[in-house]
Amino acid sequence: MTAPADDKELDLLLGRMKATAAPLRELLRGFHARYAENDEGKVADYIPELAGADRRWFGITIVTTDGQIFEVGDCKQLFTIQSISKPFVYGLALEDNGMEHVVSKVGVEPTGEAFNSIVLDESSNRPFNPMVNAGAIAIADLVRGKDYPERVNRLLKMFGRYCGRDVYIDNSVFMSERMTGHRNRAIAHLMLNFGMIGERIEEALELYFQQCSILVSAHDLAVMGATLANGGVNPITGLRAIEQPYIKNLLSIILSCGMYDHSGEWAYRVGIPAKSGVGGGIVGVIPGQFGIGVFSPPLDSKGNSVRGIQTFQELSQRFGLHVFESGFSDPKIQDLFAPARR
Amino acid sequence: MSKIISTHSFRGGTGKSNTTANLAVLTAKAGFRVGVIDTDIQSPGIHILFRLDEKVVQKSLNDYLWGKCRIEEAAYDVTERAIGDEQDGSERPRLFLIPSSLRSGEIARILREGYDVGRLNDGFQDLIRLLRLDYLFIDTHPGVNEETLLSIAVSDTLVLIVRPDQQDFQGTAVTVELARKLFVPEMFIVINKVPIGTDPVSLKVHVEGLYKTDVAAVLPLSIEMARNASGDIFCNRYPAHPLTQELKSIVKRFIP
Repeated sequence: MTAPADDKELDLLLGRMKATAAPLRELLRGFHARYAENDEGKVADYIPELAGADRRWFGITIVTTDGQIFEVGDCKQLFTIQSISKPFVYGLALEDNGMEHVVSKVGVEPTGEAFNSIVLDESSNRPFNPMVNAGAIAIADLVRGKDYPERVNRLLKMFGRYCGRDVYIDNSVFMSERMTGHRNRAIAHLMLNFGMIGERIEEALELYFQQCSILVSAHDLAVMGATLANGGVNPITGLRAIEQPYIKNLLSIILSCGMYDHSGEWAYRVGIPAKSGVGGGIVGVIPGQFGIGVFSPPLDSKGNSVRGIQTFQELSQRFGLHVFESGFSDPKIQDLFAPARR
Repeated sequence: MSKIISTHSFRGGTGKSNTTANLAVLTAKAGFRVGVIDTDIQSPGIHILFRLDEKVVQKSLNDYLWGKCRIEEAAYDVTERAIGDEQDGSERPRLFLIPSSLRSGEIARILREGYDVGRLNDGFQDLIRLLRLDYLFIDTHPGVNEETLLSIAVSDTLVLIVRPDQQDFQGTAVTVELARKLFVPEMFIVINKVPIGTDPVSLKVHVEGLYKTDVAAVLPLSIEMARNASGDIFCNRYPAHPLTQELKSIVKRFIP
């Protein structure tokens, strides 16, 4: 007889072996080999820490809602989460304040403007949505806690629940971001002028720079995506990261605004709710099925990972993963989850 | 379509490598392209049966797992040694061997650092594709570890080698259970080194009852095999021996 804990351990090991032997891994290897050759794009260089990234880094991970993990390439390589943090902190703000209050502070309309644009809705003075920097700073301001350390801790704990491990800040990125974040400071002061952000403006900015400097990997992103795909429960740890009712709010913002000013075309062509960051990461969510994490630093002119976009495009087209797809008749990606039996 | 066949035993000394080598040779002789990969990184040995000189082995499975070479660079064509002079560069039959390193430092390093089992699986798939294999035989390390579990997970057929011995019987029960959890499509048992005087039929019935698994062959402890002392491929040296005939009957299970 084995103890239940041992049984769980064994199941995890056997699950890992099955996933390793599954044809999906072969398919992802093929994508990886093909797109690794594409050397287009430019690594973000507005701070030196990001410019130091190796442009060859490329990892793809898929994590299913029942905890299977398929991955190839540099999946454990850490990088700063940057804008990918925005929807997750938005979820925390929804939990802390309720939807109506949050929507009164930050809108839910795509802007079509660049992520760092200084523009507020003329009639309401709200930032257009939580994915532009203005919205994300206003959202950071809504994270509750008795003081700044408690607010940072709550933020980190939340990301820890999504990733299934303790997360850490890259301190040098954080310092660089806050030293050079004049534009973001300007945005915050503009919002303060309109009364859209509280008096704790420095704290809100610090929180925002902290959340952008959290270190994650492609593997982490896929687990985070799988958690959103799984009703808010991390499929690896079984622990809840976000209350279930808010997931639809979070995912609809991701779909309409997640890819900067490429979001409309993304929704049209790819149709997978996905959020990118200038660190080179993209997280994608197929509700009820799985999360996708891709990491590759070279970015296109809109600030999205070039190889990441190609990977998502091919996955979407090949397996009919567009959220509005119906009647798709080609083989499903699930057919590739179990080891092939010839 | 190509097939992956893993041979496994729970304990050492069952004659696993010897049996694997013979099954691979007999399969190749039936007119196929066959690969044999030695994933017994901790105690490699199958290369000796194919008389693959250590000095010839520039690249091994270890180098591939460390990312120092492609898997096909660690594959050695041993057709001539293993099958004889029946062919001259023809497509079939062909036999390739992918050895593990015999250098103690390299064995120690891989034990210390470990490696990504995913890469091992990628290697299996690449071998099948690049060498156009009909069959890939995986000779695994005795007992249960990551590479044996992976080998079982990717196999179309799992051959379990046991001796008629209580320790082997108990350990094999563990492997059978794991193999069922990994959904191996085909699994059978070969009882090896059966002492003279044992009734093969009742032994077969007993073992089949124990594991609810088919026994494909009961191989007698053979003086010729012992004397051969891993110096040669048995079925080549003793083509008419009853043991060779039994091994051939196992091969008939793989080939269409």
